[in-house]
Amino acid sequence: MEPRGAETLRTYEEINEKIKRGDAVVMTADEFVEYAERYGVEKAAEEVDVVTTGTFGAMCSSGAFINFGHAEPPIKMWRCWLNDVPAYKGLAAVDVYVGATAASETRGIDYGGGHVIEDLVSGKEVELRAEGWPTDCYPRQYIETVITLDELNQAVLVNPRNAYQRYAAATNSTDRILYTYMGTLLPNYGNVMYSGSGQLNPLSKDRNYETIGIGTRIFLGGGIGYIIGEGTQHNPKAGMGTLMVRGDLKQMSAKHLRGATVHRYGSTLYVGVGVPIPLINRKVAETAATPDEEIYTEILDYGVPSRSRPVVKKVSYAELKSGSVEIQGETVKSSAMSSLPQAVEIAETLKKWIEKGDFTLTRPAELLPTVREFTPLEVKRYEPRVRDVMTRQVISAKPTDDVKAVAQLIVKHGVDHIPIVRGDGKLLGIVTSWDLAKALAEDKHTLQEVMTSRVIVAKPDEAVDVVARRLLQYKISGMPVVDEELKVLGIVTTDDLAKLVRGRRQGETR
Amino acid sequence: MKIKILYAHEKVKKPVLSTVILKTNVPLNILEATVTPSKGEMVVDVPASGRQLEMVIEALKAEGVEVKELGPTIEVVKDRCVLCGACVSPCPTGAITLTMEKLEIDEQLCVRCKACVIACPFKALSMATTS
Repeated sequence: MEPRGAETLRTYEEINEKIKRGDAVVMTADEFVEYAERYGVEKAAEEVDVVTTGTFGAMCSSGAFINFGHAEPPIKMWRCWLNDVPAYKGLAAVDVYVGATAASETRGIDYGGGHVIEDLVSGKEVELRAEGWPTDCYPRQYIETVITLDELNQAVLVNPRNAYQRYAAATNSTDRILYTYMGTLLPNYGNVMYSGSGQLNPLSKDRNYETIGIGTRIFLGGGIGYIIGEGTQHNPKAGMGTLMVRGDLKQMSAKHLRGATVHRYGSTLYVGVGVPIPLINRKVAETAATPDEEIYTEILDYGVPSRSRPVVKKVSYAELKSGSVEIQGETVKSSAMSSLPQAVEIAETLKKWIEKGDFTLTRPAELLPTVREFTPLEVKRYEPRVRDVMTRQVISAKPTDDVKAVAQLIVKHGVDHIPIVRGDGKLLGIVTSWDLAKALAEDKHTLQEVMTSRVIVAKPDEAVDVVARRLLQYKISGMPVVDEELKVLGIVTTDDLAKLVRGRRQGETR
Repeated sequence: MKIKILYAHEKVKKPVLSTVILKTNVPLNILEATVTPSKGEMVVDVPASGRQLEMVIEALKAEGVEVKELGPTIEVVKDRCVLCGACVSPCPTGAITLTMEKLEIDEQLCVRCKACVIACPFKALSMATTS
């Protein structure tokens, strides 16, 4: 078998010679898929030198290193803001890193690091504010001024993770709207959101990573950039490779680098990435010819707020791009968080650059790894679970019980929440002391007339902070804890959570 | 056609819409409503055109309320829109279509719920001012 990266069809030097002569045959990935389908991969591989790819989507692991130059007198910045967005200052005196998801301290997530980068690239003035750590060599304590991209010594986009090979799509099984990083998810499988350009994606077009690696010259944000290695969370075994990239911000344009805010999630940066795939051997040509119909991902249920979300179904990019997907016999609308028209344009732009002889290809110094660990984070500290804090002795009642008897129970036991259960202990509803007051006011006599039957519940192995968030979200003060069969195991209230905090404080002082 | 109806305070108690629906036989659809003791404002979809639409508007005016015809509901700032699909599938009525060149909003289907305005990561969509 040929080693990975074998240049058996053509070498980088041969391709670059043709590019310089203006004879290189270049196709976008869309064109190549169609060409290979029509004439066969064999013939397509013989004729085509380079296939260009493109993707344009939200890439949260993005940001820029900036060097401001030294002021007079100089400052060793130890806290720094750009348009009120905090920049990372754990670096030398006037070097910072502004990350895409950092939020403005005055405007919140409506304006973040991604917007700062877009404003810089658009040539706008950006306000720089920094506090110093005065020393004998850096006497200044504070600085406030404005900067523009042109005036900076370096402004280098360095993105730890871009261009996911493919990405899980999202839907929502719950009965409320979810606002996630995959956008707005309508209730009851109301829509599917996806991301990625499918057959135009760089890593899907070279899925054995035979041509992509450290030093690959690419289109980045409208300028020329380089791949500097595998991206974080690079997971080749799962077919979810990623790229780490760098490029000079001064060459880039706001068209291909856009600040964005995903509602109730956060700010980010949309990044345009295009990678040329030289068809150095037949295997590369075969992967480059893969159509959307053969690039699969999974639709996950974002209604389950867990690391391992349930898979609703396997789906191809062809289905996702068609605008609707079938889920449980229903036709569900699908649309993308990323921009397909922009991805196409990037692939076409890169093709033009190569055809014009402006852009030559580089042989990577090292190919991306095809094996990499991808492990979750294990929490090694004790984290209280609902079962650890819940009250196990639950005072419950039956739906047919008399309101007055239950009011007496509440007074006798000093509780606020009474789960209403069937004979076998299965949860049917809940009443609170407020419901009973209402029953009295409205002259109702049995519990089923006043109980709430859509009960918000907790599971015994849920983390306490997740449950605390749910209590706040629904503006309630307690929830029954139930098992899979909805049998009541206990009740968890704001009082239980308050006790937990007090217990921790006491533990600390001991 | 979407219209805005303005009620003066003395009309707030009257069943204006029901009267007009019964009179014209056009099933008006209330999209937005704010009614306070002093005045009322409603955005109503009138599934009619031509003579029938005129009849509805005349009937409303006969009930003593002010009527304004509304233009496009959602405005798209073209140079902010990147042609992603973040607003497309979240639209509950399927009023938004994305092509390779542009975003299209079907005014007939739009119910002014603002789901698209919220879903847009680039603030490219906004509700047109109607007053």
